[in-house]
Amino acid sequence: MRLLAALIALLITFPAWADCPLDLGRGTGIVIFSSHYLIAFRPEPLRIEVGEPFSLLFNVCTKNDKPAELVAIDAQMPEHKHGMNYRPTIVSLGDGRYRVDGMVFHMPGTWELAIDVRAGEESERLSHELVVK
Amino acid sequence: MALAASAVAQTPLQWSEDEVRAIARHGPWPPTAPRDPSNRVAGSANAIVLGEHLFNEPRLSADGAMSCATCHVAGRDWGDGRAKAVGRAELDRRTPSLWNVGLAHWFGWDGAGDSLWSQSIRPILDPREMAGDAGRVAGLLREDKALACGYERAFGHKPGGDDEKLLVDAAKALAAFQATLISPRTPFDAFRDAVVAGDREAMARYPLAAQRGLKIFIDAKCSACHFGPRLTNGEFGDVGIPFFTRPGEVDSGRLDGLGKLANSTFNLLGKYNDDASGASALRTRHVQRLHSNFGEFRVPSLRQSGSGPFMHNGHLATLEDVVKHYSEVNPERLHSDAIPLVRPLALSADQSADLVAFLRTLSADVPSRPAPPLLCP
Ligand code: HEC
Ligand code: HEC
Repeated sequence: MRLLAALIALLITFPAWADCPLDLGRGTGIVIFSSHYLIAFRPEPLRIEVGEPFSLLFNVCTKNDKPAELVAIDAQMPEHKHGMNYRPTIVSLGDGRYRVDGMVFHMPGTWELAIDVRAGEESERLSHELVVK
Repeated sequence: MALAASAVAQTPLQWSEDEVRAIARHGPWPPTAPRDPSNRVAGSANAIVLGEHLFNEPRLSADGAMSCATCHVAGRDWGDGRAKAVGRAELDRRTPSLWNVGLAHWFGWDGAGDSLWSQSIRPILDPREMAGDAGRVAGLLREDKALACGYERAFGHKPGGDDEKLLVDAAKALAAFQATLISPRTPFDAFRDAVVAGDREAMARYPLAAQRGLKIFIDAKCSACHFGPRLTNGEFGDVGIPFFTRPGEVDSGRLDGLGKLANSTFNLLGKYNDDASGASALRTRHVQRLHSNFGEFRVPSLRQSGSGPFMHNGHLATLEDVVKHYSEVNPERLHSDAIPLVRPLALSADQSADLVAFLRTLSADVPSRPAPPLLCP
């Protein structure tokens, strides 16, 4: 999770977004983006332990500063082509904020998150790799 | 080389940073045991005593002849040394060891149980095992003077009139007892602590063969599944053990286990979960049934795993056989379209012996168990 620390800086450099604030509560998180979307998220607890359930807190925004929708989330180990043994649930907290519960990375190694987001008609899948040891 | 090694005081092998991290993850031991929030008498001394008496109590069974201890024998690492358990009939699976069972989150080879107490109900009711019923258990708790007194001490009131609730309470006392079965520290633990502390002198006390075996264990990624202090991630896998029980019949393992879990009145989503927060039911709520669960069995802990047989159906007799299996496993049996987690390792005879030597250091001698204290002296 050293990555997290490195990305705090990135987060702070974004201006305070009026309609879609990328604020995850503790000023920490991972930011990923495409040409249409900007997503900030952080695990809770902050350190993901192999085999232990965790949650993800999300802010999903469009590049035009509007809240977007988190449609689905999944994760798999690209090396072994298997996914999670658990199906996470998404709870909307309003204004592009979401809480995802029931994630479990049951093996050490690289996990790839697949994050499906949507604004209006346009949906897109963003991905991000996390390494758990 | 061999001569030199035995002639001088042995020096430990060199370990990379990644290897040190991997070794550290298999400890510390013993771990701090969490208290099961779904069981209101978990950790209670009185419930533990009651649980041990019930564990040894043959009157829980229909014919008064079989107790938990018939199959889970203290002197046999809480197993029975058989390939397949024998109840009123031969079962399809091996009796697992109960060491460290309080640290698990899925129970049974197929994970059909989501709590230690619900798993403890199964053998009481199963017609092929103790063939008991709630009425029998409840009657015993109400009518046997010593057990009734033990119940009152553990639960704070006399046994009530609801048979099913008393069956669940008996199982919760059984669980409180089983959660105390923490396996002893082993030669591996002394080595692991020495590695973490950077104490080369203490490291050198761990046999070189075991050190070489540990390197193979790490290199071969055994710890992808045999992860953490118990050497299991608590989940499920298919390592190519045949799952035919008899011609034409299969044990589908995890796939069937998830069906049983969903249908059980005793699962953590039901009314007998004592955890008002609901947090203990998180895995049960989120677990998903996948096609790939067919033929998967729970990854066993490798601590104090006894002298065999091994695997869910006792298919392999000795640790040497287990290592031979991982060395020669047929990759076609393991349908995988990526980097397989299990693949034939093609180990030499020396490497195989080293891996076995390592696996043996995950066990230690256990002092014989004293008789439990009296229920109500
Ligand atoms: C006839 C032999 C037999 C008897 C009697 C028996 N068990 Fe078992 N036990 C087994 C077998 C076989 C399994 C594996 C079951 C499965 O995978 O479906 C098992 C599994 C378990 C497990 C799960 C262990 C794990 O690692 O997941 C627990 C806990 C357990 N038994 C406790 C008990 C208790 C408590 C009793 C008495 C009420 C008992 N058993 C009676 C044979 C027996
Ligand atoms: C894909 C996950 C996975 C990997 C990787 C793996 N195992 Fe296992 N292991 C299991 C499962 C699952 C079982 C039980 C299989 C069964 O009963 O059908 C098992 C069983 C065992 C057992 C028998 C334990 C018992 O009590 O029956 C031993 C010993 C063992 N593995 C050692 C190893 C070693 C050594 C390696 C590396 C060469 C390894 N495992 C790699 C999942 C794995």
